[in-house]
Amino acid sequence: MSGPRATRATGITAWWHAIRRDRKASIGATLIAGFVLVGIVGPWLVGAPDALVGVPLQSPSGAHWLGTNGQGQDVLAQLVVGTRVSLAIGFAVGLAVVLIGALVGVTAGYFGGRVDALLSVIFNVFLVLPGLPLAIVIAAYLPSGPLTLGFVLVVTGWAWNARVLRSQALALRRRDFVAAAVVAGESPFNIITREILPNMMSLLVAQVIGSTVYAIGAQVGLEFLGLGDVSAFTWGTNLYWSQNDSALLTGAWWTFVPTGLCVALVGFGLTLLNSGFDEITNPRLQMERAWRAHLAARGRTPTRSTPVVRDRD
Amino acid sequence: MPYILQRLGFYVFAAWAALTLNFFLPRLMPGDPATALFARFRGRLAPEAMLALRETFGLTDAPLLVQYVTYLGHVLRGDFGISIAYFPSPVSQVIGTGLVWTVFLAGTALIVSFAIGTLLGAVAAWQRRGWLDTWLPSTLVFIGAFPYFWLAMLALYVLGFTLRWFPLGHAYGDDLTPGFTFTFLADVVRHAALPIGTVVLATLGGWLLSMRNTMIAVLGSDYVNLARAKGLPPSQVMLRYAARNALLPSVTGFGMALGFVLGGSLLTEIVFSYPGQGYLLVQAVRNQDYPLMQGIFLVITLAVLGANWLVDLALLWLDPRTRESS
Amino acid sequence: MTVTEPLLSVGDLCVDYVTDRGLVRAVDGVSFDVGRGEIVGIAGESGSGKSTLAQAILRILPSPAVISRGQVLLEGRDLLAADEAELRELRWKRVAIVFQSAMDALNPVLTVGEQIIDTMLAHDFASRGAARARAGELFAMVGMPPDRLDSYPHQLSGGMRQRVCIALALALEPALLILDEPTTALDVIVEQEILVQIRALHQRLGFSVLFITHDLARMLQFSDRVAVFYSARLVELGPVAGLRNSARHPYTQGLLRSFPGIHDTGHDRVGIPGAPPSLENPPAGCRFHPRCPLAIERCRVETPELREFAPGHVAACHVAK
Repeated sequence: MSGPRATRATGITAWWHAIRRDRKASIGATLIAGFVLVGIVGPWLVGAPDALVGVPLQSPSGAHWLGTNGQGQDVLAQLVVGTRVSLAIGFAVGLAVVLIGALVGVTAGYFGGRVDALLSVIFNVFLVLPGLPLAIVIAAYLPSGPLTLGFVLVVTGWAWNARVLRSQALALRRRDFVAAAVVAGESPFNIITREILPNMMSLLVAQVIGSTVYAIGAQVGLEFLGLGDVSAFTWGTNLYWSQNDSALLTGAWWTFVPTGLCVALVGFGLTLLNSGFDEITNPRLQMERAWRAHLAARGRTPTRSTPVVRDRD
Repeated sequence: MPYILQRLGFYVFAAWAALTLNFFLPRLMPGDPATALFARFRGRLAPEAMLALRETFGLTDAPLLVQYVTYLGHVLRGDFGISIAYFPSPVSQVIGTGLVWTVFLAGTALIVSFAIGTLLGAVAAWQRRGWLDTWLPSTLVFIGAFPYFWLAMLALYVLGFTLRWFPLGHAYGDDLTPGFTFTFLADVVRHAALPIGTVVLATLGGWLLSMRNTMIAVLGSDYVNLARAKGLPPSQVMLRYAARNALLPSVTGFGMALGFVLGGSLLTEIVFSYPGQGYLLVQAVRNQDYPLMQGIFLVITLAVLGANWLVDLALLWLDPRTRESS
Repeated sequence: MTVTEPLLSVGDLCVDYVTDRGLVRAVDGVSFDVGRGEIVGIAGESGSGKSTLAQAILRILPSPAVISRGQVLLEGRDLLAADEAELRELRWKRVAIVFQSAMDALNPVLTVGEQIIDTMLAHDFASRGAARARAGELFAMVGMPPDRLDSYPHQLSGGMRQRVCIALALALEPALLILDEPTTALDVIVEQEILVQIRALHQRLGFSVLFITHDLARMLQFSDRVAVFYSARLVELGPVAGLRNSARHPYTQGLLRSFPGIHDTGHDRVGIPGAPPSLENPPAGCRFHPRCPLAIERCRVETPELREFAPGHVAACHVAK
């Protein structure tokens, strides 16, 4: 008496195969895999990030591929070590906000009524309060470090997921297989975990990916402001010190350009992964593609009115 | 018009939530912030300052409810306490100096980015071929993946430091006196070009993609099909039938994105030493200036809530369906 | 009686949808005519391809559709060879269409009056004042109060919206009006009112009607000639009396048996067993053979051609007499 499981659009394995077929998603997956590899293995391959290895603000050279920073430390080492921490926090926060968002959103969407009204007001308020100032005032009162950082990121980031997942839960709630389960007397907990959540898997995965992008960006922003532990080595603190040491005004571009590039590549890679996924769930885009190919093969361009394409029958 | 009043009520509630959060935060943290600060600034703060600090936090011996009411009274009068970093200036005064620059920077960037991005998105969906629909969206998304402030750093480095096309910071030249003269305004524009430009560039991709995707969906709808069947000129079909409707979700999204873009804009200000709230925020964080931090939080929150309500008003005008009672 | 050229002449029309699994043919070799002042009905189940046919005539089918074969002549003009400018000129002036769902067919952000006026301004009318006056006349014609010109679609009931769409369709006095399931989304009483209104307008203004519906009983009341559609193909075509009294194709016979007449007391209602075939993978030979009580071996392999059984009455069946 369960609803459609592992249908073409929601199964994880189907998703994996679709990713491999789609070029954008494959590029994204490769990028992410590369960075994860660097994060895991990298720190053992580079020197210590805090070691004073040379003259400050040296441009890239054979000895130091990305040069040295304002304190005379190796930029490459800091970048690689920072990869691990930044990715770890980003992914952990991304997962956490989706879990909390799912808890609140699905509860609101499933139970409706007063529960929904109350929860909706709560997450709508969190959605409208500007994230950065809120993060700052909360983080300012807590000891600096990854836990505080993670905490404020979660507080400012969960509401979006709650809203999205609530809509989805609402839509699923109205489907026949859920109604059947309700009539059969299944407990709400069972219905949610066995009927609703499995049918939201693809959305949940997409949300985790999107939230990780947000988490990495927001994390870097807060650290740039000086709210993280400035003695730690992360992408954000690298940028903080670069700004602090007036890198720009001394022309030391290597202290900030590589770090920013890494942030962008990871964010872009994750977005590609998600957009490749978008095409899978948006059949309209797929239909268009086949149609354009059909026209192009006959030397025709798409027209506004229905095209007349006669083949030799 | 119950819809617009409903929304106003929600924003008032959100403002109250922010105020209450501000009130409870210092009280929830371990220790007494006022005493801790006094210990830090020992010798530099007179007893009157100590009293002022305690007053700011409302940390008197009165019961919690009385403290809360006193606090609300202060805030509604515009009294956010005394700044520590800029002692003895009141927080409201410190914030006031920078507010207009932040609003100018973020507001202009938001409007310009939304306008250009939405227009490009509509055209991209309408054409569905050519550079507008193929590599431009991906490029803009890639650019948008960089932190705003990093783009600012790059722009500053390349266009300011290396090529010397734009000034290196601040809102206007130090030698000019503020006033509504042409030279002053032209100088302001010159100084604002890079900061506004970077925020626009960073956010353009988002608006473009959102409008393009909505537009594609709308172009498949029955009423657009009928508009074509009626023999209307293509420009009318695209603008009055398709774009007018595709715009609605983007406008709704604009309200939600406001707070987010503002955050990025604040960080951009830091890179350009722009004399707005962003710069004040850094000072506040560095000096543990809690009154200033909380003051900025409140002011920015109220600004965002107000802007959101304006967006709701715009929606009322754009979408006749919202004019009925909801 | 002089033989006049038909208003609309559709010849061997084929319309395909391009999917990533290949082409799906929604209209397969369809030919029929509509004479001046004639009401021709097209009956068929949902998914049989009728709406595709209607929209293909105007060439407003959205993207994955292509027209792969055939001819569509409107007053002698080749619609399939026309370019955008020509189509835009012909659309609405010579042929107009009313969609099934009026709620979706009307732009939510413009008033209904505005949607009629902009059509007129795009074609003939020079001034807004003249266009608005004409819009008022059209509203009166379909029984709508003139003050509703300034209403938005969401403020009107389903029946009123459909009347707006009809008024809109008649704005430029087209020679051919295509009605694509115009009353399916409405309740029975409103449906009757709308059809009565259309027939009155038809008698007054003399336009031809191509009336597409799945409701065969309605169609028999309303049309001069009827065509029956099954799985992208035309299986029977003839004058309404002939079809009602002596339908030749087993599918038509099945349809007639499954719809009650209001004054009917005779036979029991009998449905057609089975389900209509998917257009992606249609049966070989005659597409109706899996559900046909009279099917023989020949039906499984050979596609039947349209044969004439009485003047103007054709059917595609190997077994029919």
